[in-house]
Amino acid sequence: MSMGYVLLIPLLPALAFAVLAPMPRTVRTRLVPLAVGAVLGSLALSVAAFLAVWPGGHVGEPTWQGAVTIAHVGDRALSLGLALEPVSAIMLLVVAVVGAAVQVYSLGYMHREERIGWYYAALSLFTAAMLALVLSDNFLGLFMAWEVMGLCSYLLIGFWHEQEAPRLASIKAFLTTKVGDLGFMLALAVVYAEVGAFDFATVLHHDWSAGTATLVALLMLFGAMGKSAQFPLHVWLPDAMAGPTPASALIHAATMVAAGVFLVVRALPIFEASGVALTITLWVGLVTALLAGLLAMVQHDIKKVLAYSTISQLGFMFIALGAGGSTAALYHLVTHAYFKSLLFLGAGVIIHAAHTQDMREMGGLAKKLPVTSLAFASGSLALAGIVPFSGFWSKDEILTVLLHEHQYAAFGIALLAAFITAFYVARLWFRVFTAPTQQVGLHEGHRSMLAPMAVLAAITAVVGFFGPTLGEFLGHEIPWPALGTAAISTAAAVAGIAFGWWVYGRTTSVVNTQAIKQRFPHAYGVLTNKYYFDLTYGYFVVGGYTALARGLATFDGSIVDGVVNGAARLWRSLASVGWLFDGRVIDGAVNGAASAVRAAGARMRTLQTGSVRGYQTLVAGAVVLLVIWILVKGA
Amino acid sequence: MNLPLLTLIVFLPLFGAAAVALLGNARAGVGRITAVAVAVVDLALVAWVTVRFDVSTGMQFVEKAVWVPQAGITYHLALDGMSLAMVALSALLTVLAIVASWKTEKNPALWFSMLLLLEVGMNGVFLAMDFVLFYVFWELVLVPMYFLIATWGGPRRQYAAVKFFLYTLFGSVFMLVGIIALYLQTGTFDILEMVGAGLDPKFQWWVFAAFFLGFAVKVPVFPLHTWLPDAHVEAPTAASVLLAGILLKMGSYGFLRISLPILPDAAHQWSTFIAALAAISIVYGAAVAFAQTDMKKLVAYSSVSHMGFVMLGIASMTPEGLNGAVAVMFSHGVVTGMLFFLVGMVYERTHTRMIAEVSGLSSKVPVAGGLLAFASFASLGLPGLSGFVGEFLSLLGAWASDIPVGWVVVSAIGVLLAAAYMLWLVQRVVLGSPSPAVDHITDLSRREVLVLVPLVVLTFVVGIYWDSLLRFTDPAVQSILVMMGGA
Repeated sequence: MSMGYVLLIPLLPALAFAVLAPMPRTVRTRLVPLAVGAVLGSLALSVAAFLAVWPGGHVGEPTWQGAVTIAHVGDRALSLGLALEPVSAIMLLVVAVVGAAVQVYSLGYMHREERIGWYYAALSLFTAAMLALVLSDNFLGLFMAWEVMGLCSYLLIGFWHEQEAPRLASIKAFLTTKVGDLGFMLALAVVYAEVGAFDFATVLHHDWSAGTATLVALLMLFGAMGKSAQFPLHVWLPDAMAGPTPASALIHAATMVAAGVFLVVRALPIFEASGVALTITLWVGLVTALLAGLLAMVQHDIKKVLAYSTISQLGFMFIALGAGGSTAALYHLVTHAYFKSLLFLGAGVIIHAAHTQDMREMGGLAKKLPVTSLAFASGSLALAGIVPFSGFWSKDEILTVLLHEHQYAAFGIALLAAFITAFYVARLWFRVFTAPTQQVGLHEGHRSMLAPMAVLAAITAVVGFFGPTLGEFLGHEIPWPALGTAAISTAAAVAGIAFGWWVYGRTTSVVNTQAIKQRFPHAYGVLTNKYYFDLTYGYFVVGGYTALARGLATFDGSIVDGVVNGAARLWRSLASVGWLFDGRVIDGAVNGAASAVRAAGARMRTLQTGSVRGYQTLVAGAVVLLVIWILVKGA
Repeated sequence: MNLPLLTLIVFLPLFGAAAVALLGNARAGVGRITAVAVAVVDLALVAWVTVRFDVSTGMQFVEKAVWVPQAGITYHLALDGMSLAMVALSALLTVLAIVASWKTEKNPALWFSMLLLLEVGMNGVFLAMDFVLFYVFWELVLVPMYFLIATWGGPRRQYAAVKFFLYTLFGSVFMLVGIIALYLQTGTFDILEMVGAGLDPKFQWWVFAAFFLGFAVKVPVFPLHTWLPDAHVEAPTAASVLLAGILLKMGSYGFLRISLPILPDAAHQWSTFIAALAAISIVYGAAVAFAQTDMKKLVAYSSVSHMGFVMLGIASMTPEGLNGAVAVMFSHGVVTGMLFFLVGMVYERTHTRMIAEVSGLSSKVPVAGGLLAFASFASLGLPGLSGFVGEFLSLLGAWASDIPVGWVVVSAIGVLLAAAYMLWLVQRVVLGSPSPAVDHITDLSRREVLVLVPLVVLTFVVGIYWDSLLRFTDPAVQSILVMMGGA
């Protein structure tokens, strides 16, 4: 069977972008259905592609492969290729499902926006790039798609660019991730110098020495940390919430931010050849999972809670990778993509209904938004890790891997992070849905918004049961959870929820954040200031660079150019004073060219008013004579 | 039939220049049509050469005639893929520059004839394979560019034009010394015949130094760059486009055509020094660009930064690095051309180039704002657009070469800094709410869009299918490396 249609999966949304982007605004708006149609087409083809690989596909043995050589340098060729195999097949489903859900949802959510056409264009380009990224069979193509996604992220975060916050958030996101991308790009340079190729098969089967492997792995990890918002490069993601909520769901929760994890999944053999890099990955994940989880506990903006939660959950995936569990990481990536995009879409309905993102102004939404609250419950339970919702299974798998690798300290930290997760989920839930009502006249979201949420909620409720199947497909066993680990993780989750209920959920205790603040002033200050990362970066990195740049600009004008002008002035005065030589001679010799052309320039200014014709005849005559001379001499 | 195609490509604009000048300002309407027709025919000739170009061999379309036999001077034109890429860019940008300055009112006859005369010099530099011829074209370029700046420039045009003229003349005097030294040693002025002359390494070192001064001023390499921002700020738009698009490349072309093949031993001795200057140019240019308050000055300093990647690729002396260098040269011509055109178009409407006074272009004039944002992303090296190709290949080559890793890492940081100054520009100028200066302006005319579309298309084509450019440059690069003795 011809599998060429796989190519269409990223191509359809790319074409939608190519059609929409150059159009004027009004035409773009009318073409929105084209973008939605394209992503639905990609979804259908992705399902077909998945079924072509599953069951029976094997990792490392592509069912379909296609490549085009884009560059020849000497005897080396650089190709961009796509390969359909189990990992890419699973990722295709994730990206296409969430992408389609978000685009359908946005029809309702964004329908009042004047620039909805541009929104859909950017969303389409993003979807195309992400689909190409997961299909890519080489690091170069992965990097190129990765950068294009960064552009789309920038465009969508800054969608409401008339306001200052989105404008600043977009540039912050682009530059912070670009810091990481430098690592990725240098990793490519090392890979090229070492292997001379970029395709996964060649690079991963290369006989890596531990030193080079560590260098490549750490550079790639740095890139992954930028994209997947790991400490200390996480600062852009919470600000990125200034973008439209459905875009946050797709890009800054489900797919793009997981690209860093995906990169490490692909490159894991290099990390394993290093060893050290694995340990560092593990600790990056642990620190991030814990610290971001703590920050999620003190946020009042519902999207910020979810943003820090995303950072923390991505941390869990890095923990899995650091323990060598690529399947566990991928598993959590998949379940998280579904339940976190669901939570964001739910948050979108809530924000539309409540006209605020501040949870302190919300309450009692469970009754007003029955469908949304039900869907949100599915996502919340998954995030908290309650059986049988999806997050339980994948988080349990990560904990199992840690135990299996005898990483007991890591296991403890991860468990603590899981407890915190459950706590902030409960905090969010009770504040938004069950706290005493403060607002009236709220309305449930439109059907086009609820339908995609229902689909995602259903997936979240059942996908966990397919863990062992997924493991089999990926060639790594995912066993049903051992009773012991499951009991411990469930205990942590239940304890977190219970604690959350105790603080925020009881009808008698409407929480007084002021009281908490007074009780733990230092800890609270550290958390509300986000560990002072933003302040430090703003002051030292941004402020320092700005000052340096201004200083260099001044230096350039006064010193570097000053030397040039000074030399010219010195030369002139030497000449005119006639110190060593006859001033006229010097002036004539040195500035001869200058004075000649200056004189000609002065002549020309007078010519403009007067005898233009005569002058031009002169020029033309000279030119013709020159040509004739050249032709005679040249022949 | 054996047309002397290269001679036609070089000298056709000379006749055009004469015709336009003869027609005069009274018949400027006919004059500018003549000008654009000549430039288009010239571009068509380059296209014809491109179609007939054989990528499997090196120098072709050779035209050789005795000129001054007593002194070993020949009239020698030829091209390889590298020359072809540069001539194509020169012919294209000339057409676009003429169309973009279609409405020039001040002495139009002289304006259009100067643009055509400039094309003679630019095309000649990239096709001449004899040193005397090369030098004539090299200096010829200065004259029309001087007039373009000094006559049609901004308030400080006299200062900027004289500075441009003298600074580059200063450099080319050293180049002339180098040429004469080479001639005395080899007895020929033929650039290609000098290759493999087995010159003494010490002698090479000194000649390399002389050429270095000539070429490095033109590129320009830090700290020889300060003529560039002044020239750009004062120059009229079309002159800025050609200055950044073509004239800077004459310097790096000189390194690739002359310094590396003829002086290979010296090139190896100089490579770390050049790489260091390249890395400094990249970061320094980017930082100074970031601090600019004038859009044109920002783009001018960004050129210093981008040309640093050209020099980095050259210093690597690897296939990747040299291809990367030529790719940056080409892409910078396209993308920076686009940026200068757009800044000029915005200036014509708002009468200011101050970043602080222009904002909200995308809401008021979406075509201009969108294209400016597009050009900015191309300039900061977004993969899929042309800027990425050369910078990436230069970095690959530099890493694989003997260049100390530290300089490569510093250069790579330049990619981040480029994103910083470009996005910061977009942030202030394209996004946000319209400022008073922007409030009543109109969007780009059809003619202006026509000028930009070819550049947009090239940016995509080269950025997506790198071989569209590399298939021409790679054979040239390989032969340079062979001339350098293996590698």
